[in-house]
Amino acid sequence: MSDDRDFPSNSDTEPERESEPRPEADGGVTRQEDFPLDISRWVAAIAPIVLLALFVGGFLLATPLAGIQGGGEPLPAVSIDYTTLPDGETIRLHVTNNGPPVEITQVHVNEANWQFDVSSPGDDARLGTGESATVEIPYHWMAGYDYDVAIMTADGVTFGTTIVAAHQSPGITTQILWTLAVIGFFVGIVPVTLGMFWFPFLRTMPRTWLHAVLAFSAGILAFLAVDAGFEAFEVAERVPTYYAGPLLVVLGIVGAVLVVQAIMDWGSGDEPSRLALAYSAALGIGLHNFAEGLAIGSAFAIGRTSLGAFLIVGFMIHNVTEGPVFVAPLAEGDRPALSHFAALGLLAGAPVILGGWIGIATQSPILSALFLAIGVGALLQVVFDIGDLVRSSGSLRAAPNLAGFGIGLFVMYATDLLIVL
Amino acid sequence: MTDQRASDPTTREDEAASVTRGLEERLIDSVEDHEGVTRRSVLGGLAIAGGAAVTGLGAAQSENDPDGGDGEVNGFGAPGEYTHEQFDPHGFLREFNAGDSPNERDAIFGRADDLNAGVYEEDGQTVREFNFTAIDVEQEILPGVRFPMWTYNGQVPGPTIRVEEGDLVRINFTNGSRKMDHTIHPHLRNLNPRMDGIPQNGPGLIEPGESFTYEWRAQPAGTHLYHCHTLPLKAHVHRGLYGTIIVDPKPELVRENPRKYLDYHGPITEEVREMAVRRAKSRNMISHAGFVPEGYDGIDEMVMVMNGFDTNFNGDNEVYGVNTRGFAYAPARTDSYRGEWAAGKTKKPIQVDRNDLLRVHLLNLIEFDFVNSFHTHSQFFDYYDAGTTLFPNRKTIDTVLMCQAQRGVLELDYGDHQPGLYMFHAHQSEFAELGWMSFFEVN
Repeated sequence: MSDDRDFPSNSDTEPERESEPRPEADGGVTRQEDFPLDISRWVAAIAPIVLLALFVGGFLLATPLAGIQGGGEPLPAVSIDYTTLPDGETIRLHVTNNGPPVEITQVHVNEANWQFDVSSPGDDARLGTGESATVEIPYHWMAGYDYDVAIMTADGVTFGTTIVAAHQSPGITTQILWTLAVIGFFVGIVPVTLGMFWFPFLRTMPRTWLHAVLAFSAGILAFLAVDAGFEAFEVAERVPTYYAGPLLVVLGIVGAVLVVQAIMDWGSGDEPSRLALAYSAALGIGLHNFAEGLAIGSAFAIGRTSLGAFLIVGFMIHNVTEGPVFVAPLAEGDRPALSHFAALGLLAGAPVILGGWIGIATQSPILSALFLAIGVGALLQVVFDIGDLVRSSGSLRAAPNLAGFGIGLFVMYATDLLIVL
Repeated sequence: MTDQRASDPTTREDEAASVTRGLEERLIDSVEDHEGVTRRSVLGGLAIAGGAAVTGLGAAQSENDPDGGDGEVNGFGAPGEYTHEQFDPHGFLREFNAGDSPNERDAIFGRADDLNAGVYEEDGQTVREFNFTAIDVEQEILPGVRFPMWTYNGQVPGPTIRVEEGDLVRINFTNGSRKMDHTIHPHLRNLNPRMDGIPQNGPGLIEPGESFTYEWRAQPAGTHLYHCHTLPLKAHVHRGLYGTIIVDPKPELVRENPRKYLDYHGPITEEVREMAVRRAKSRNMISHAGFVPEGYDGIDEMVMVMNGFDTNFNGDNEVYGVNTRGFAYAPARTDSYRGEWAAGKTKKPIQVDRNDLLRVHLLNLIEFDFVNSFHTHSQFFDYYDAGTTLFPNRKTIDTVLMCQAQRGVLELDYGDHQPGLYMFHAHQSEFAELGWMSFFEVN
């Protein structure tokens, strides 16, 4: 009520507190040191886990929520992740159970009951939470037609998808593997290697311009990272919800940054060698090209193979800019052995072929999202490293560097227009 | 046979391969110029046929496969067998309850309830009494697929009631459902509005745990239906609250006033009158069960309620059928490339005797779709709309279209057909392929 009264009481307590002895105040630290045996430390470490186990057990036994669980069953959630048409007589659905256990009891094709066979981990039509299965339907489909397919569970819930413009998925034959290898060679290895032929020219450049070229490389890589990042999150939408696609992508990106950084630091200490930087750049581009290969393979797999000459030329122009990116760090100092250049070229270019092969073998959105995310992480790490390299012997914000970075972004955007899968 | 194949598989396959090649070339040559047939589609078809021939897929293998799902070539219908013993469409087909019929009922796998509560005279009037209880049960509507039903006496369609023209039908209705109000509304010419089974009249809705006794006048003669009239109607009908009530014509009344029973405007000669009386006797299973129409050994009557189920509640049916179970009257296994079939335990054609007059009481209780239909293969039938006439309204047709709640009597004669399988189904292909495809096996 009155301020006057309160003040005296405050002033009374102050001196008392100060008069108390203080030294034992940080008892926590001293007590820890007082543990007589090392075992006690481990007991202390494990105790919370043991207690958690006890509480979980007690919760499950006592079922304190039993009274409020009426009718609150989780709804079934099954996704058809992708479909394949291995031959003219078969439709194959790749499904994942994202919810409580279900049984696939019936299958519809274009609003008609049809025969089917389920291959699941338990070898029956029952799918536990998180289990995936393939549903094989003998169906004489017509190329170019659309097909509505749906699976029905024991309680009549349906989960469906539309196969648009049905087209036979190519099997994995030596011919198709060879075709993809040839495409990969032209789309990946050739342009990347051609890009590396700028190396002698780069060596003649003054440091300022070389930095600008490095910044240009960083722009290219940054563009690819953003591009692949968007795509990764797009693909993540199709990942069965059980696997939390977007989080998987985040994990892939951050994980890849950390892993590539750790590898870089392993041999060379804090300051990465220029060769190590070149290799990590090549790896980043390689992972990006792997994802590109996956996309080409998937396009083959779902029959969208309009890979005309124009598209291949587009890819070549797009990818030729990747060559100088990982040789630019080597422009200063001693030229490494030629075998290193061959290795860099293969590391950056050859994954297109591998990606193509895997892309045709599976269209698993989980795999695609994960590979895209890892590529993004690897690319970002290289962008950071190039940034470090430029900063260590100059300023990042020098006009040529900013211009180089911007031009890198623009070139990638422009050449990206040439590729429409 | 199996052993022989195992001992020398290569020879057999080589042989089969060369035969297949020869056939391939011939077939391809013959269709090469045919527009719309690609070489690939021909080859694809042959690959399957050849595969079936070589591996012996189909009926033979299916027998070894208790599941029944794998051996079917170019499959037919919904694979698998029914396992749930709540309602048997094969038992339901020919079950008629007249009030004094046995309460161990085939429709519910021979279990007993108290449906038939007696037949007695009251004020010079025959009373047929029944006990109806609304309960919630699950029924299997496709192999492995169950649907939560609201039912009369635990079955969908509800019990078939059969009475004679002019009887008093007394229904002691108890609502045994846990949550929902229900009624029974009859499609009869009822003279007391309190007995109409609607929310606006008489007792109105019967709440869970409550009872009401409906009394209906059995008229006019014909095949009719009853159903719950609680709102929302779509839900209460679609969930299974419906059934059949057949009113058999009394030959005496027909003799008195034949014109009432005929969709016919010519003079009523003695010949016409006698014909109508004979037809009334043929239709009356209660007082003239032994009547055999000329040219037949007997009469085989069955009830088919065309219904459907919206299993995912999207306002469209996922399962169609007659008498609830999709494909219940169809073969369990089919080898499409050899025209062979096999009956299953729960999925099997309806056995009929070719010397019997086949009479089908057909009702359309579909929801969500405006119309349903009934089409016979290799057969034409006479159709009596609502069964209220004794001469057919439509003679010699093979397809009849019905709107919701429309019903009629069909008379089929397989007397000069060769024994074998004769299909019948909705001619809405979508309905047929989602379960409403059935067969008579004529012996």
